[in-house]
Amino acid sequence: MESGLIGSTRAAAGALAAAALLGLAACSAGSSTSSPDGTPPPSGEGSEEALVLGLVAEPATLDFSQDAGAAIPQALLVNVYEGLVKLDQDGEIVAALATDWEVSDDGLTYTFDLVEDAIFTNGEPFTADDAAFSIERVQNDWAVALKSAMDVVASAEATSPTELVVTLTGPSNNWLYNMTTRVGAMFSESGVDDLANTPIGTGPYAFTEWNRGDSIVLTRNPDYWGDAPYFNEVTLRYFDDPTALNSALLTGTIDVITTVQAPEGLAQFEGNEDLQIIEGTTNGEVVLSFNHRSTPFQDLRVRQAVRQAIDHQALVDTCWAGRGDLIGSMVPPTDPWYEDLTDVAPYDPDEATALLTAAGQTDLTLRLRLPSLPYATSCGQVVASQLEDVGITVEVDTLEFPAQWLAQVFMAPNDYDMSIVAHVEPRDIPPIFGDPTYYLGYLNPEVVEMLEAADLGTVDEQVTIMQEVARTLSEDAAADWLFLLPNLVVADADITGLPENAIGEALDLTLLARS
Amino acid sequence: MVDRPLRGLGTAVDHRDVARRRVNPSLVAGTLLVALVVAVALVSFVWTPYAPSRVDPSSRLLDLSAEHWLGTDKFGRDVASQIMVGARTTIFVGVIAVGVAAVFGVPLGVLAAMGPRWLGQLVMRTSDLVLAFPALLLAIMFGAVYGASTLTAMIAIGIATIPSFARITRAATLQVLSREYVLAARVAGRRRLAIAVRHVLPNVSSLVIVQVSVSFAIAVLAEAALSFLGLGTPLTTPSWGRMLQESQELLSVAPRLAVVPGIAIAIAVLGFNLLGDGLRDRYDPKLERAS
Amino acid sequence: MLLRVLVRAGVLLASLAVSSVVVFGFLAALPGDPARVALGVNATEESVATLRTEFGLDRPLRTQYVDWVGGMLTGDPGRSYVSKAEIGLQLADRMQVTLWLVAAATVIAVLIALPAGTLMAVRHGKLSGLVLAGLSQIGVAVPAFLAGILLITLFAVRLRWLPSGGWTPPVEDPVMFLRQLTLPALALGLVQGAVLTRYVRSAVIDVLREDYLRTARAKGLTPERALWRHGLRNAMVPVVTVLGLQLATLLIGAVVVERVFVVPGMGKLLLDAVANRDLLLVQAVVMVLVVAVLVVNFVVDLLYTVLDPRLRHG
Repeated sequence: MESGLIGSTRAAAGALAAAALLGLAACSAGSSTSSPDGTPPPSGEGSEEALVLGLVAEPATLDFSQDAGAAIPQALLVNVYEGLVKLDQDGEIVAALATDWEVSDDGLTYTFDLVEDAIFTNGEPFTADDAAFSIERVQNDWAVALKSAMDVVASAEATSPTELVVTLTGPSNNWLYNMTTRVGAMFSESGVDDLANTPIGTGPYAFTEWNRGDSIVLTRNPDYWGDAPYFNEVTLRYFDDPTALNSALLTGTIDVITTVQAPEGLAQFEGNEDLQIIEGTTNGEVVLSFNHRSTPFQDLRVRQAVRQAIDHQALVDTCWAGRGDLIGSMVPPTDPWYEDLTDVAPYDPDEATALLTAAGQTDLTLRLRLPSLPYATSCGQVVASQLEDVGITVEVDTLEFPAQWLAQVFMAPNDYDMSIVAHVEPRDIPPIFGDPTYYLGYLNPEVVEMLEAADLGTVDEQVTIMQEVARTLSEDAAADWLFLLPNLVVADADITGLPENAIGEALDLTLLARS
Repeated sequence: MVDRPLRGLGTAVDHRDVARRRVNPSLVAGTLLVALVVAVALVSFVWTPYAPSRVDPSSRLLDLSAEHWLGTDKFGRDVASQIMVGARTTIFVGVIAVGVAAVFGVPLGVLAAMGPRWLGQLVMRTSDLVLAFPALLLAIMFGAVYGASTLTAMIAIGIATIPSFARITRAATLQVLSREYVLAARVAGRRRLAIAVRHVLPNVSSLVIVQVSVSFAIAVLAEAALSFLGLGTPLTTPSWGRMLQESQELLSVAPRLAVVPGIAIAIAVLGFNLLGDGLRDRYDPKLERAS
Repeated sequence: MLLRVLVRAGVLLASLAVSSVVVFGFLAALPGDPARVALGVNATEESVATLRTEFGLDRPLRTQYVDWVGGMLTGDPGRSYVSKAEIGLQLADRMQVTLWLVAAATVIAVLIALPAGTLMAVRHGKLSGLVLAGLSQIGVAVPAFLAGILLITLFAVRLRWLPSGGWTPPVEDPVMFLRQLTLPALALGLVQGAVLTRYVRSAVIDVLREDYLRTARAKGLTPERALWRHGLRNAMVPVVTVLGLQLATLLIGAVVVERVFVVPGMGKLLLDAVANRDLLLVQAVVMVLVVAVLVVNFVVDLLYTVLDPRLRHG
């Protein structure tokens, strides 16, 4: 259901938000990483076992260069497609298809040393030419808004079969990080004919089969250049219905629930010795957006009032079974510049009423237009009720997701006052709050300047500046952040390697094993 | 005419005699149940134990008690209040849908029977065609084009039900037309419209009422299914179908959240079905031989 | 009679033609640009325009319609706008699944309805008849998805006897296939069975009152024999008709049941396609469903004629 999903917004079903990003087993660089729970990394030889994972929101196509849906990279990135670099469980950039890299002093030139023996599943070897081709392809052929991450690249050149030189138009802190996301995926020059149905990559798994409406099957890639993953066959099974997803684990139809979408149902898993429950964080900020084009929201006092009318803890307790951290801005705890800003707009209904009176809006009516996603319809009702308590009349309607919600809320003329959607991309402040053409319509020149400076400055400067940005967004009530979608994973107790926090777009299957 | 009973094969008697003699349990039970649902819906306009949409985090998932007769849901909303207001939705959708169907279907049926033969065929064939688009399918299509809402649901269900009314009316009209007194009227030169009004309508009305009851039951089921799929009433309007859908994730902790709206739906549908059956037993035209 | 069949066949064709226009026209009225939705919000104008041409959306409606119908008839409904996959293949895959579900449900329904309905008819007026009638009434009042939810709660979650859904092709793993089919087929079939039971009962009651049964009795047949020989055949007429008419209901019931049990059938395909604004796919699925119902009605009509000789010269 992710077709037509736009730009950098992962208006994803919460499931995607909670995509379990797993750490990196740094196969090539020769270093070894141990998984967070201390078990040894997977051995070079895999087993003959199969694994079935349950997810929601099946991808509509397998081509994430054309479709912004998060379900596609969740399944394919890192597993089927690899990038030059990837993220480990701590959020650090580590080697993948690039064994090593150097950055010039002026930050404009990146020189990558590439792996020598990587092969695509169509039999073609991976060379620097493919890398250059992939990078250029993002600029020329990609349709999703995320492609803008490559705008800063001036040229990509293969100086030898295993060396790639990338020249940027200006120094950028974000570029290398972005290369760990989907835009950094490496494609074969001769393997891009039917990406919608036949992904061809260098990864530890090869795409085998897609039973539409049901499942995607991946099989271990026998020609993989690195360590073989444990599971020989992985089936990603998609469920429309969150409760069916829960039931499927109980009846053994699946081995792992990658993201619980009906958190009330967790109760039935607790106390079950055959199962393990993992609760961590994701990048999925559930944003209560304010349409800054809408007159009432142009007044800071009104925005503040809405924020302070909401009892966020009660909201999470009621609509998401109490699972989910409270965040005061657009930054999850796993980002380097995270600060707890929840006290910027504390719950204070009296204060909210006072602000509304001061703003002359004692008889305010706002339209809350929700996408048909579980967390949105659930939490939207609580938001409406809490706002009604301070005298705001809320008109709630549900728009079918993705098509209707995209057409009416996301695209011009952005016909809404408030909406609720989870933005699951990592580090997504710039496209969301730095771009006034985005559905929020938020324009703050100060923030735009700071974002640029953060990208150009040193790494430490980036942290300081981004902290400032987060604080500004909160104090300016650019939106309200209801909570952070939790990473709720339930699995057979003997499965190891499941990540606690979902940090990126990919669900790294290579770390999984059964003890 | 009273025939002698045939042992083992049931009794073939004039049902009008039987209807008068025998207590009709379906009719009684049906009327009671329907009255219950309607009463609850009406009462909900003046009073509900709590405001049905009021979220109350401190009262989540409470069991049946004196304060909350049917407990609360995961938002702390009072289930009994939601059921009461949900009854309103159910009745409302049923009335509009069946109303639309009857208003268009009955005249079409009469026309089909009394008009020229080609017209009758046309109406019947078109009916068949519409019947090929089940209510849910129509509602999904309407919802896709116009956005899902209570209104599209009602219109879709209504349109899908027109053929039933057309058919039953046509069949009944044909029956009536073949009766002696009608033939007599026609021979005597009475105009068709007059015949329609004087003889046909009163005699088919009882059948139409039966169909109303039966179609109401179908409308209730269709609305529940649509709400379950998320294609019916908006979020802020309590609806039994959506209560069922919301109950799914809590089946392991609070199955009553599924059972209560489930029973409500079953009672409404049962009521209308029984009512229709009871009425049909009373008015079965096959046995109205002499009139 | 041949004339009657021919006329009916002609009507069928006309209905098919009209339906196709209705379905096409309806969905052509859908607001929103499928090309834009397929590409996403930030797509450039040129890429949207290119895709529109690729989909053939810039041609006049009449041409699009003719192409579409031609495609449907030759078994190539084209490629989905969204997934670029061949619609024909998807339809075939999904249709199989739904057919299995509907067939199993029908079998269950008939197995319930025939004995129950006859029993109720014969015991008409007696207490046991009333009790059975009451039960079937309740059965009719329970929506299929409610039955499904309750079945899952009992058999899948509490007792763990059966899986809560999913689908395995019968050739791959017949046992799993049957296990996964059981609950959804039951959910659909029980409800249908209740509906059918009432028709069977009604039909048998009517038959019991008919003159020809008295005649048969007068001729010396036992009540049971009379019922069997003459009655049931005529009782079958409305039953067969209802089965055919119920196909539409069954198909739609399957839509909801497929959602509850996560069965990858036509219903799920339709709902997903609508959510994705995958127009061509929605058109194709709706058309297939409508054609199925119309054709079945036609066949039922023919059977009706065969079963009831009084109608042969109607």
